[in-house]
Amino acid sequence: MIDKKPADFDEAAASVDIDTVSEQKNERMPQRRYQRRRQGTFVPDYVDWKDIDFLRRFIPERGKIMPRRISGVSAKDQRRVAQAIKRARSMALIPFVTD
Amino acid sequence: MRLDEPKGGKTLANRTYEIMYIVAPETAEDDLNKLNEAIALTITSQGGTVANTEHMGRRKLAYPIDKKTEGHYVLLEVEGTGKEIFELERRMRVNDAIIRFITVRVDEDRKTADKQKAKRDARLARRNAASNRGGSNQESEQQNAEQNQ
Repeated sequence: MIDKKPADFDEAAASVDIDTVSEQKNERMPQRRYQRRRQGTFVPDYVDWKDIDFLRRFIPERGKIMPRRISGVSAKDQRRVAQAIKRARSMALIPFVTD
Repeated sequence: MRLDEPKGGKTLANRTYEIMYIVAPETAEDDLNKLNEAIALTITSQGGTVANTEHMGRRKLAYPIDKKTEGHYVLLEVEGTGKEIFELERRMRVNDAIIRFITVRVDEDRKTADKQKAKRDARLARRNAASNRGGSNQESEQQNAEQNQ
């Protein structure tokens, strides 16, 4: 009674060891997602394009706008921050590029 | 549609703009003051009001503009219809002493920011009220007792 399997039981799938599957997965995908995400970057309701000290947090050394995947802010906040950075750039408050 | 036309009984006149401009560093103090006055006059003559003026002083530019590395920064906050902005931008473009300017309409963004803040505050207040009602009555009673002592 205990050994009785349902009619649609897949023998092949059942025979595959769960541990080996997870090991294979680990080999194929080495840990690429390291902890880069900076949580808790607070973005105010009104992003002021004149607030350079705040905007500098989103500008790494090169002068580029920090991508969302690194800064960890929401899509909405990223758009507003990016817009503010571009405005500040055009007024020479922030450099376009730094070499 | 014209900007100064009322729409649905309400005028479109109430807009807020931020204007920032950079004046060439070699401009003398007197000329700078004269220029600022002229700009303020342009706004008021077109029906706008200058809500705030801030002289940010001489600053180093982040990159050279027209072979200049410094500039006098002036920031204005203007309320009006948008007509005076049009005129002001035209004049600033012509003026050689102004090496860069920007106009940003801020009233809508500020309004949405205020709305979000109000929403968040309301949510917070509701949550506090709920947590005070359920379970933490003892705590608040204790606090009251402490305060009475």
